[in-house]
Amino acid sequence: MAANEQPTPLEMREAFGRALVDLGRREPRIRVLDADLCTSTKASLFRDQFPARFVQLGIAEQNLFGLAAGLALEGFIPFPCTFASFAARRGLDQLAISICYAGLNVKVPGSYPGLPTSRAGASHNCIEDLAVMRALPNMRVADPGDNDDLVAIMQAAVETPGPVYFRVTRLTLPPLPSTASSFEWGKGRIVRPGRDVTLYGTGMMTSLCLRAAEELASESVEAEVVHLASVKPIDRELIVESASRTGCGVTAENGTILGGFGSAVVEVLAELHPVPVRRIGVQDRWVESGGIDELFTHHQMQPGDIAQAARAVMRMKGKRS
Amino acid sequence: MSLEELGEVAYQIRRLSLEMITYSRWGHPGGSLSLADILAVLYFQAMSVDPERPDWEQRDRLVCSKAHGAPALYAALALRGFFPIDEVYSYCELGGRLEGHVHRGKLPGIESSGGPLGIGLSVAAGMALGLRFKELPRPRVFCVLGDGESNEGNVWEAAMAAAHYHLDNLIAVIDYNKVMAKGFTWDLMGVEPFADKWRSFGWDVLEVDGHSLTGLIDAFHQLRWVIPRGAPLALIAHTVKGKGVDQAEFNYKWHTHAPDPETADQMLRTLARAYGRPEQGYSRLGMEHSKETFYGGE
Repeated sequence: MAANEQPTPLEMREAFGRALVDLGRREPRIRVLDADLCTSTKASLFRDQFPARFVQLGIAEQNLFGLAAGLALEGFIPFPCTFASFAARRGLDQLAISICYAGLNVKVPGSYPGLPTSRAGASHNCIEDLAVMRALPNMRVADPGDNDDLVAIMQAAVETPGPVYFRVTRLTLPPLPSTASSFEWGKGRIVRPGRDVTLYGTGMMTSLCLRAAEELASESVEAEVVHLASVKPIDRELIVESASRTGCGVTAENGTILGGFGSAVVEVLAELHPVPVRRIGVQDRWVESGGIDELFTHHQMQPGDIAQAARAVMRMKGKRS
Repeated sequence: MSLEELGEVAYQIRRLSLEMITYSRWGHPGGSLSLADILAVLYFQAMSVDPERPDWEQRDRLVCSKAHGAPALYAALALRGFFPIDEVYSYCELGGRLEGHVHRGKLPGIESSGGPLGIGLSVAAGMALGLRFKELPRPRVFCVLGDGESNEGNVWEAAMAAAHYHLDNLIAVIDYNKVMAKGFTWDLMGVEPFADKWRSFGWDVLEVDGHSLTGLIDAFHQLRWVIPRGAPLALIAHTVKGKGVDQAEFNYKWHTHAPDPETADQMLRTLARAYGRPEQGYSRLGMEHSKETFYGGE
């Protein structure tokens, strides 16, 4: 590899598996629980390294979360690992009552969230996990924008007592522009400054927001890109501060626009600083099987769609002033 | 503790359950009354607990999966000294420590949060596995389940996992009171052959009359010292829903139903007679409630 070449980043699930092993080395209380998906989630990396601290529970997600609650009650830090769909759907009652209501120290990775799940279709394309998890009192929710983000989120999750839900996207994500700040609960960061419109992104969508900002730059539009990996708590100050400078915004999330990240941003803006906003994400419909890029086009979640929404909110801003 | 004293504890669990349900105007009398003898023997005879140190690592744990049996559990814990007995009258009061369904974190002695049926055995199995990880051989985890609750699939996921991991420090105590919220178990969803189900999942099973104190004492002794170890244990306790108050016995209408104070007074007098105790009615008869409306429905 030439010295000036960037190494290809790992697929995020691979980074997840490696981070689990790394955390496992440093934190002996960690236990990893699996429901027969470990080579997909890459929890298998932890299994290979720490077989005695890995608990296979078979295809039984309700038991996966209930048993995690019991381990947490005995002082362990369990990571019950499954797909986002099975955390937000099949095991939700156990996650809500046995873990979240009880305020237990359980860290829940939601693998394969949103559109990139290969070609599995609606049953495996979990679009509502951010909405569902965000609605649970006590729960912290994060959607990492790149592998560094993921590692920092997992580290923060272990350091923060209480339940945490974080997403592990099944994609290789380009690293976000490095900024002085790393992940912190309730803190976002500006990954590209601008003054005409704010593109609020979470998870993998921040990268697409950056590409949209490039497109807009060719039209002399300076879009600011705000990355909010911490979906709950969310950085109210930064959301308002950016909107008060740009006067309009677009939110982008890898999931439904109902109740999730876009809703969270819009709630803050509606209460504190109303400006024109559009939400990019899945528009209240089930996801079909398809290629990943195809799906993003089909659901109008490509950088071009984000840029288009930015132009629309800028027009609305113009009309109002 | 003598049999007489245990009998008095069971009687007081029943009394206090009815008192708190009446005063709060909400609760599940039937499933609390069926649990009273089981909890009396558990908390005063079979389990090692220390009210002064509710988090004592060597304690036996109890997960109340049938979380609507909370009044009986609160009564047992109060009688055992975990909190003042008078606090039971704050049951379901906003700002109090006694939630409608058991909830950990507020009240000493409550290990887990519940309410939706079928979720507790997984939590108990997780605790049992956690004890293994910590290499603590002495403490055991008891999980109190209902028979109707065993309709839930999660119970059997947990049962399968507990057997797979040979969690012989886990004991499911099933309050088999034969009545669910809206009728008899065999009419709504049959669970028989119940013992065979547990056995086929790899559990060792014992059946007992859940209202016989000597039977329960013997059963818990066998579970601890006699039955060869290596598998999780299920104690199927045959009970009577509403036990001790004839109008509530085997009557699904008293599954979720708070008696009005006059009815409660009669029920408590009936209970006293059934136990050969001096007649004693509802202690707060005529006292004003803070609640604005009476909720006695299902």
